[in-house]
Amino acid sequence: MSYAYLFKYIIIGDTGVGKSCLLLQFTDKRFQPVHDLTIGVEFGARMITIDSKPIKLQIWDTAGQESFRSITRSYYRGAAGALLVYDITRRETFNHLASWLEDARQHANSNMTIMLIGNKCDLAHRRAVSTEEGEQFAKENGLVFMETSAKTAHNVEEAFINTASKIYQKIEEGIFDVSNESYGIKVGYGGGSGTAGAGRGDASLAPKGGCCG
Amino acid sequence: MGGGGGGGGENEMYGSMEQGNEVDYSAPLRHQEMSHSVASTSAVQQRTGSAGGPESEPSGVIDDYEVVYVKDNVSVHPTQNALGRISGRLRLIKQGSSLFMTWIPYSHGGISRQGSNVVIKGGLRNRMGSRAAERDRNLYTIRAVSLSEMRSIRRQTPPFGWQYIIIVLTSGLAFPPLYFHNGGVKEFLGTIRNHALLVRSAEDANVYLVNDIQDPLQRSLTSLELTEQPAPSAPTSSQEAPWPVVLKQETPVAAESDGKQEQSLRQIFKQEQRSESGRRRDQARDLSMNVLEKFSLVTKFARETTAQIFGESRMFLDGLDMDRGPVPRPPPGPSTPPDVEVLGIAKEARPLLENKHMKEESSSALNSADEEVVDDNLNADDDAEEQAATNVGTFELVDGTQDDTPALVWGRARPPPLGTEEWRSFLDSEGRVMDPKALRKRIFHGGIEPEVRHVVWKFLLGYFRFDSTYAEREYLIAKKKEEYEILKAQWQTVSPEQAKRFAKYRERKHRVEKDVVRTDRTLPYYAGEGDDNANITVLRDILVTYSFYNFDLGYCQGMSDLLSPILYVVDSESEAFWCFAALMEHLAPNFHRDQNGMHSQLLALSKLVQLLDRPLHDYFKQVDCLNYFFCFRWILIQFKREFDFENVLKLWEVLWTNYLSEHFHLYMCVALLKRHRRRIMDEQMEFDTLLKFINELSGHINLESTLRDAEALCLHAGERGAACIPPGTPPSIPEEEAGGWSD
Repeated sequence: MSYAYLFKYIIIGDTGVGKSCLLLQFTDKRFQPVHDLTIGVEFGARMITIDSKPIKLQIWDTAGQESFRSITRSYYRGAAGALLVYDITRRETFNHLASWLEDARQHANSNMTIMLIGNKCDLAHRRAVSTEEGEQFAKENGLVFMETSAKTAHNVEEAFINTASKIYQKIEEGIFDVSNESYGIKVGYGGGSGTAGAGRGDASLAPKGGCCG
Repeated sequence: MGGGGGGGGENEMYGSMEQGNEVDYSAPLRHQEMSHSVASTSAVQQRTGSAGGPESEPSGVIDDYEVVYVKDNVSVHPTQNALGRISGRLRLIKQGSSLFMTWIPYSHGGISRQGSNVVIKGGLRNRMGSRAAERDRNLYTIRAVSLSEMRSIRRQTPPFGWQYIIIVLTSGLAFPPLYFHNGGVKEFLGTIRNHALLVRSAEDANVYLVNDIQDPLQRSLTSLELTEQPAPSAPTSSQEAPWPVVLKQETPVAAESDGKQEQSLRQIFKQEQRSESGRRRDQARDLSMNVLEKFSLVTKFARETTAQIFGESRMFLDGLDMDRGPVPRPPPGPSTPPDVEVLGIAKEARPLLENKHMKEESSSALNSADEEVVDDNLNADDDAEEQAATNVGTFELVDGTQDDTPALVWGRARPPPLGTEEWRSFLDSEGRVMDPKALRKRIFHGGIEPEVRHVVWKFLLGYFRFDSTYAEREYLIAKKKEEYEILKAQWQTVSPEQAKRFAKYRERKHRVEKDVVRTDRTLPYYAGEGDDNANITVLRDILVTYSFYNFDLGYCQGMSDLLSPILYVVDSESEAFWCFAALMEHLAPNFHRDQNGMHSQLLALSKLVQLLDRPLHDYFKQVDCLNYFFCFRWILIQFKREFDFENVLKLWEVLWTNYLSEHFHLYMCVALLKRHRRRIMDEQMEFDTLLKFINELSGHINLESTLRDAEALCLHAGERGAACIPPGTPPSIPEEEAGGWSD
C-alpha cells in the first residue's frame, strides 16, 4: 500500500475513557462494547486522504493504567500526533489531563499535534464535564478540542483527520523535517527522499502507486 | 484489538501437527514428483494418511508446492548397529520463493511391500520391539525445515562408508547426520544453491553457509560457529567443489586419517575443543563464547549418537520414555562408564557450567574446556543425566510462525497430558504427592488433562501443599473459605455513607468493575454484556477482595487476566481467590508502581539474549532497544494475550512447575525472539516496528514448538543462564518468604 506520508499517532488518557473504542470506530467503523482491556499497547492503521494525498495513520493505543506509565512513555517517542482522551461522564478523567499532558510534552517531540477529546458525548445525561470546560482547557494548553462518541461515531473521523490535517499543514509550512523520523512522519514511496523540510507543493510528495488502496 | 481473542486460527493451522507426528507433504505433491522418486510414495501416503491431507497445509495453497529434489535411502544412524538405521526419503520442496527440506522415514510395511531397500528388518523389530522403532522413526522425522532457518550444511565424505551431511540451524541446533546411501549429496547441494545463497566456508571447505549474511561481523560469527579451526580434520581433500560456489578463500585441508565416520566426527569436535582451550585469552571473549555456545548445541547429537554407539542406549531410551510419565532413574554415578573419547565430545555438548562441582573460576566458556571438566562430568549427578536424557528431544528447532512457513516439527511431540489415573498414581494412600519433583517434571513435559487440572493447579500454585493429605486439604478448604468470607465482608459491608468518604475504595472497586467486563468475554464461561454473567461478578469480588487482602498493592490492570483462567479452572470463588493470591506472591512485583519487578525481568531477559544470541543482542543495542519494552506484555501476564485460552492453560501449568527454571517464561521470550531473529535483523526493525511486530505475533505463536525451543535453550544455558537472572527476580520470591512453589 503506497502512501505519501505515514503519521504515527498515540492515544493517551485514563483507563476506561474509550481509547480503544475510538480507535476501533476509526479503523473498522464499528463499536465494540466488549473487548479486552489494553495491556501495553495495541496498534491500528488506516489510510486517509488529505489534499488528495494518501496518508497512512499508524495509531498506537496505549494502556491507561497508571502503573505502566514508566513503560508506556517510551511509546511517545516519534509520534506526530496525539489524541488525549477523557470521559465526559467521569470528572476524574478530566482532572488527570494535566498529568497526561505533562507526560506527553516531556516525552514526545515538541511539535507533536495534540487533540483533546471529550469522549462518550452520547451519554449527555451523565455528563460531568461541560463542553466549555473542555474548550477552556484546550485553549489554555494550545490544543485542538472536540467532543466525540465512539459509540455513535460522532466526530470520530473528524478527530483523527483534523489532527492529520494539522500535521500535514506543519509539513507544508516546513516545521517538520520529514527526513527525520523522530517527528513521527515517514515519507512514503516516491514521497521525496530526504529533502529537509519538504517544500510547499513539492512534486515529490505525490505518491508513486497512485491508488491509496 | 485485544490480542487475547484471536487464537482460533492457530488451532486450525497447527492442528495437524498435534494430532499426528508426521505430516507428509507427499500427498498433495505426488503428481509433481520427479519420475525417479517412485519407490514408496504410496506407502508413505498410506502411513500418514490420517495425519496428512489438505487440512494440514498451512496456507491452503497446495498448488504452489513443487518438489525440486528427491532422494531415497537417506538414513539416520541412531545406533552403530546397521539394523538400527532408519532409512527415509529426503526432499526439497519449493513453495513460492521458499525452499523446505523434509526427511520422512519409511514405514516398515511400506518398505517391505516395495521389496527393496529394506533397512529396518524384521529381526531388529523383534528385538527392539516395534514400539521403540516407531518412536525412533518419529523422533528423527524432519517434517519441513525452511532453508531460511538453516545456517550451514557440513558435508562429510569418509573414505569408507557413505557421504553424509549435517545441517545446522540458525539457532545453533543441528539435525543428526543424514547418510546418503545412494549418493546425491552433490545434487542436493546443487539444488539448494539454485534457490539460496550457498557460500563455502573460508575456514572449512566442507562447510557450506546457507544464506550467508552480508554483515561482515555476522558473517565471521556464522562461519566461526561450525568451523572455528581451519580444520585439519576435514576430509575430502581431493574433492573439488562439485559445482561453482561462491568462494571466499579455499583452505587446504588434510586427508582424513580414520575411516569411521563417527571417528571423524569425534575428531572434528575434539579439534574444535583443543583450538578453543588453546586460544589466546585476549581474543574477543564474547566471540569465543558465542562460538562455543553454538558448538555445544551442534555437538549434542554427536554425544548422543556416539554414546549410543558405545552402549549407552539406556540413557537414550530413558529420554524417550518420558512419554510414559515418571521413569525410574538409572542409578547415578560411574555405573555406565562412558568412553573417554565420548566424553571428549560430551563435555562440550553439555552446558558447560551447570555441573554443581564446577569451580567458580571456570565461569568462562574458555576455561570450561579444560580437562578437569571431563572429570566432573564423569561424576555427573542425577541432574546431568536427566538433562542428557531430555536432550534427546531437544534438537528440534521449529518454525511454524513465519507467514510463509508451514508448521515444522522435528522430533517427538509432547507426551500426552497427565490424566486422572496417572495423577492418582502420584498420590499415596492418604493423598500426599509422593514425589513432587517427578510430578512437576511430568507436567513440565506433558501438561495436565482438563479433568484433573482443577486439582493439580492448586498444588502447582501453592494453595495445597504437596505433602498434605486428603483430610488436611478438606480442612484447609473449609478454613480458607471462612477466611475468604471475612475478607470479602470487609468491603461488602462498607455502607454508602462510608463509601462517600472512602475514595480509595470507590476508585478500586470502580476500576475492577471496569476491567472485569473487559476480560475474556469471548469465552462462554464469561460471555455476555456488562455484568450480566455471574462469573464476571465472581471475578470482581475476588479482585476487590484481593485489593483489600493486599491493600498496599491494590488492583492493577493485568490482574484480571491472571485471575480469569484460574477461576475458570478452579471454579470455586474462595479457592480461586487463594490460588490467585498464591500466584500473586510471585507476580506482585509485576504490578508494583515503580515497575521494579518488570524491569528486573526485562533486564534478565536482556542478559539471557546476550548469552544465547549475541548477534541479536548487539543488534538490539545498536537500535537502542535493550530495554526490551517490546516484551512487556509477554512478561507482565505470562503470555496470556499471546495464545488462545486453551493454550494459556497449557503454558501456565508448564511455567508453574518451576521444573527447569523458575524463569522459564524468560526462556520462552528468548526462544520467540530467536525464532524471528533473522526477520528482525534483516528488516532492520527498530523500537516502533519491533514492538508492532512482537504485538502482532499474538495468536500466531505455536506453543508446543516454542516450549521445546525454550527447553532446549534453558538446558543449553544451564547455570550460565541462571546466573543472568538475579536472585529475587519475579516470579522468584525471596528465600525467607518461599512458600509452596519451592517445595
